[in-house]
Amino acid sequence: MRAHRIFLFSLCFIAVNVMLCIPFIQTPGSAAQKPERKIVAAFKYPGLTVPSDGKLKADLVVKNKGLTDETVFLEVAEKPAGWEASFSTYNKTVSGVFVGEESKKSITFKARKKDADKKLPTGTYHFRIRAVTEDGLIEQSASLSVTVVEKETREKTIGLSTSYPMLQGPADTSFEFTINVSNNSAKAGLFNLQAKAPAKGWKTSFKPAYEDKQISSLNIKANKSKSVKVEITPPRQASTGTYPIDVRVWQGEIEATTTLKVKLTGTYNISCNTPKGLLSAEVEKGGDTTMSLLVKNTGSATQKKISFVSFKPEDWQVNFKPKTVTGIKPGEMKQVEVSIIPAEDALVGDYSVGVKAQGQKASDKVEFRITVKASAAWGWIGVGIIILVIVGLAITFRILGRR
Amino acid sequence: MWTIFRKELADHFSSSRFLIMLCLIAMVTLIITYMAGINLREELSGGSKPGSAFLMLFTTSGRFFSLSQFITFFGPLLGIIMGFDAINGERSKGTLPKLLSQPIYRDAIINGKFLAGVAVIAILFTSLILLIAGLGLLTVGAIPGINEVARLIIYLLVSIAYVAFWLGLSIVFSILFRSVATSALAGVALWIFLAFFTGFCSSLIADAVAPVDNQKNTQQVIANREVKHKISLISPVNLYTDATSTLLNPYRKTSKSFALLGPMERISMNRFQNPLPLGQSLLVVVPYLTTLLSLTVICFGAAYICFLRQEIRST
Repeated sequence: MRAHRIFLFSLCFIAVNVMLCIPFIQTPGSAAQKPERKIVAAFKYPGLTVPSDGKLKADLVVKNKGLTDETVFLEVAEKPAGWEASFSTYNKTVSGVFVGEESKKSITFKARKKDADKKLPTGTYHFRIRAVTEDGLIEQSASLSVTVVEKETREKTIGLSTSYPMLQGPADTSFEFTINVSNNSAKAGLFNLQAKAPAKGWKTSFKPAYEDKQISSLNIKANKSKSVKVEITPPRQASTGTYPIDVRVWQGEIEATTTLKVKLTGTYNISCNTPKGLLSAEVEKGGDTTMSLLVKNTGSATQKKISFVSFKPEDWQVNFKPKTVTGIKPGEMKQVEVSIIPAEDALVGDYSVGVKAQGQKASDKVEFRITVKASAAWGWIGVGIIILVIVGLAITFRILGRR
Repeated sequence: MWTIFRKELADHFSSSRFLIMLCLIAMVTLIITYMAGINLREELSGGSKPGSAFLMLFTTSGRFFSLSQFITFFGPLLGIIMGFDAINGERSKGTLPKLLSQPIYRDAIINGKFLAGVAVIAILFTSLILLIAGLGLLTVGAIPGINEVARLIIYLLVSIAYVAFWLGLSIVFSILFRSVATSALAGVALWIFLAFFTGFCSSLIADAVAPVDNQKNTQQVIANREVKHKISLISPVNLYTDATSTLLNPYRKTSKSFALLGPMERISMNRFQNPLPLGQSLLVVVPYLTTLLSLTVICFGAAYICFLRQEIRST
């Protein structure tokens, strides 16, 4: 009986020992427990919804959980009829992948309907792929469910925008707008450009942003935009006001329009001349000369007031009549009388006398060549004196002569 | 009269006095022209020739003085030499009563003598100027235009009138003074006074009448200059100088040596730098020419009256 007890006790002891020892044995034994070979192939997102104009792409992860390196071949086990599917990494189409010990690889799964050009037909489709090791001993499969939904087509596939839709300036300058044309469609395309001139004589042209070329259409890649310069040159005689310019961009049936505005402030320009174009005059010492000066408004804005300034030698007098001219409409002409009186003691010879018409934001200069001549009166007086003296001599001859 | 004229002319040309004068003047003139020519050629080399390059031959001073200055100062001497013994020379030789006993009018003598003098001067000056013109063509190569030739002809006429004035003056002296030496001295004295001393006198008087305290006061300076200029015009030498310098230089726009120009006026004038036309130059100096010619005629008139009223047979 005693021997029985000892046996029982030792049995218990062993059992407790074993029980206690199990975790200690098992911990180093877990590495050994990792299977010699194991692979996992699975879709990152097994259920997908894609728009019909999108692309069917799914990420496939291949993992090696075993202790040896594996080469895994992939194949599509199940796909809807009429579809084709492929595996790719970056830009290469692949049919297998090498997965090192304890590593993973990502592979893109692509599928498309064979006949449909780009668009995917709506509906739910099931795909299943199979991953098989090189020796065919280990096999793994994963399935993917894709729902293709009809995506609403966007209303505008051409975008047209500008930062500064209105520019202001005088009529003798050109206006440069920058418009941004964006291609919102999924396809690259050629876009035609057109601008409608507001009136006759206006010139419009399109230019690339940083080139000096005239263009009438431009090519834009899908979902990209390009900026285009619109140059608008108004005719010089265009009157002041705001002019709208309609810009149209179209491709096939799709088009976009925007309105640019040009506000003309008018040009300021005056010109001076004499009626015959003669810019020289002769004046006798002590006399004066009068010339007509024609002031013409060659700009497109009304000149409110034009005053006159003269550049003249000291002690000379240059008078204008009237002193100022007011309210000359574009294209109109007014006459001003300029009287020039040289100084009393001016030397004979040619003098330069400048006349400047100073208008609103514009001025013009005319230079006169004034020839001061010696007074002929002294010449006649001199001749008179000489004649007098000679007559005196003749009288002397007559009285005293012939003795 | 024409017999007297011819006789006097012959006398002048054959006299050694004339020959010496001619040689002297020709020599001096040649030297001056040569100098002026060389000077001018140096100045004008490189640039384009100004329009009045030819006239500059007569006005450019070489090493000493220009031809026009030479004639201004020594032309009177020529007139005096030719006229100082016109009447009293005859008188001292005792030929005057003999001459008057001939069937000729009394005024023919004085007219003939004066005209012969003027003719000699004219011949002398014309040949002189032609000589210089020829030399100028050689040394400078400037070809005169019509305008320049006309200016030169007027200059020649004025010069003849100027020397004729001195001739007339010396004839007056030769009538007034019995002694040949006295009349010569009187003529030379007057010449020296008018040519050299009027300048000093006029500045003295001008300083007294319009003193200049401050050289920067332009108004005072101008007033002083005006007075000086007016007083100096008493002398026919200055009359002649002012007149001919304006005539010979078409760029000269006033006869005055000093003119006030404002800065604006200068800019305005510099804009067009062109020579004056001949007519304008003439008009500028017309008062001077008139006075000079009148003086000449009056001088001759005085000689005429003196001679005709004089008692001849007193010796």
